[in-house]
Amino acid sequence: MRYHPLPRTAMPVVALATLVLVLWIGWGSVRSPAALWAPGDLSRYHVDIAGCTHCHEPFRGPSPARCVGCHSERYFESRSAPAVMTWHREMVAQRTACTACHTEHRGALAQITDQSRVNPHGEFVFRATGTASCTVCHEFGARVATRPMLRDAPVVKRLYEKGRGAHRPGLMTD
Amino acid sequence: MPGVRCRILSISIAVVAAVAAALAFEAVLSIGEATPFGHTSYGHVVGWVGLGVTVVVFVYPLRKRYSPARQWPRGWFRVHMVAGVLGPLLIFLHSGAHYHALVPVLAMASMVIVVLSGIVGQTVHAVTLRTLNDQRHQLQHQGLSDGDIEIRLHGMASQEEAFRIWQAIHAPMTVMFLVLTLLHVAGALFFAGIS
Repeated sequence: MRYHPLPRTAMPVVALATLVLVLWIGWGSVRSPAALWAPGDLSRYHVDIAGCTHCHEPFRGPSPARCVGCHSERYFESRSAPAVMTWHREMVAQRTACTACHTEHRGALAQITDQSRVNPHGEFVFRATGTASCTVCHEFGARVATRPMLRDAPVVKRLYEKGRGAHRPGLMTD
Repeated sequence: MPGVRCRILSISIAVVAAVAAALAFEAVLSIGEATPFGHTSYGHVVGWVGLGVTVVVFVYPLRKRYSPARQWPRGWFRVHMVAGVLGPLLIFLHSGAHYHALVPVLAMASMVIVVLSGIVGQTVHAVTLRTLNDQRHQLQHQGLSDGDIEIRLHGMASQEEAFRIWQAIHAPMTVMFLVLTLLHVAGALFFAGIS
């Protein structure tokens, strides 16, 4: 039985297709690097960051030096409680990697603090309630991931009035 | 061709079951964890081992082309088949169901095309040759002449010939698979760091 195992055109066609693909990947890496290389979407906190190397140092990974570039002491002073600021200053002094507690590329609504990345309310909770973070409605204690407590906050009260409780059907907004 | 369609179906089911098992194992390893298994250091090791096992498959084509004895390296062909299934299953364990970036997705897609064309093609080819030989022996026992046997078996042989399309996919697509895999590894090292 005669047969031709490999048509002579097969290899050049695939080589050409591969070359086109590589060129496209090169072009795409410049135009939209996240689509080609990122393992997941950034969180809403970092969604405005322009390029991958803003946080990643080539061949060394996400660099604490680059985190501190934005999350400076002055930034902590203006936005966080003194205890939180002291804690982070100690961590930086001990050269603890930021990625030990904060992980990115888990999606737009993911919480990037350790043990609190899951948002059980679904996609539109922040837009629907007009809140910016989980801590507006919830107080997180030691058992942060398992048992967040509801705060005595206006938005929580409004949700209770409308829905007669968080676990009953009701409208979140007007 | 009797048996071929049935064999393709059973092989397909086995392949889907093996891939599903690898993905399920990854899901078990990732469940309840903050980081998917593939992004942990163990996940990286599985990826490297999977790549290492996959690289072993290239000994067979190299031996086939450049062996001084010019003999078909049957032993290395067995290694080719086993490593060609085991390596990609480890890659599935490494990736799990987490597909976002296009480069690894394309690398995975090209791997799937190469592996499937190899498994289905080789299985159908082997089964068909065996069936052809069995039928030839049967017809010889019935006392038919060689010419008549050729005519009787022509249909089956031409279908087998047509099915060799898998070889035209299997070897050339390997080029694309290798290039995309190298890009994925280089990209992962660039962004996640070497150490």
